[in-house]
Amino acid sequence: MITLNHYLVLAAALFSIGLYGVLTSKNALRVVISVELILNAVNVNLAAFSVFVAPRQAMGLNFVVFFMVIAAAEFGLALAIIISLYRTEDIGAIDALRKLKG
Amino acid sequence: MTLELFFFYVYALVAVAGAIGLVAARQLVHAAMSFFATLLAVAALFLLMGSQFLAAMQLFVYGGAMTVLVLFALMFTGASPDGGKQTSRAIRWLGAIVAASFFILLAAAFASAGWMVSPSQPMSVEAIATIMFSRLVVPFEIAGLALTIALIGAIVLAREDDVLGNGELAEKVGGDA
Repeated sequence: MITLNHYLVLAAALFSIGLYGVLTSKNALRVVISVELILNAVNVNLAAFSVFVAPRQAMGLNFVVFFMVIAAAEFGLALAIIISLYRTEDIGAIDALRKLKG
Repeated sequence: MTLELFFFYVYALVAVAGAIGLVAARQLVHAAMSFFATLLAVAALFLLMGSQFLAAMQLFVYGGAMTVLVLFALMFTGASPDGGKQTSRAIRWLGAIVAASFFILLAAAFASAGWMVSPSQPMSVEAIATIMFSRLVVPFEIAGLALTIALIGAIVLAREDDVLGNGELAEKVGGDA
């Protein structure tokens, strides 16, 4: 029998790996994908809580759908920033963002 | 071990392995493809939870659209712009320690939580739609608006500066840089 804790521990593992990716990647694109991994882990958490704790209301599942919308918007914007960064600086490294300090 | 639990472990293994591949692969294309494996495994987990709608959305939004977007961005910026640049070993160790301790903290919290678990039942698409179009109808509209604004902003950010050929925009951006 799959319990709630199975899903929670799995989501925590995905979240931690995504956290590692965000903290240690040099490449801007890999940082953004790691953020997506974190959001996906949160989605697993929300859906698991919704299904196991409050199965009569589909509220948590709705949250997941909204999270997907927000993640898609964030992802598109992040990719646009990376592409324009690459166009002006010709590099994909996250260090280039230091220039934004002015 | 029931068949359900066996498949849970299979998908969980694929998800975690794909995530590790994302952070560990040298080539960015390999990282993107192993992230794709994670997304598919998470979609399968949504199916195991009994919410087919979420599994379908996961496949469409993440598995389809986002993977294609990542590959497009890779095409624009060059497949491996790492260029031999690696984070220093100390930072990698620090990141691993932070991530591992965060995981241990979460796992310990979950183990001692004691949730009020109800018997789960499959959730129909209708149940999701009923809430989304009654109580959550205003957030639904706002989400659509936010998505539109974000995508217009993405186009403005990512397009060529001198798209009209009159040099106006390029001058403005060039003046700041």
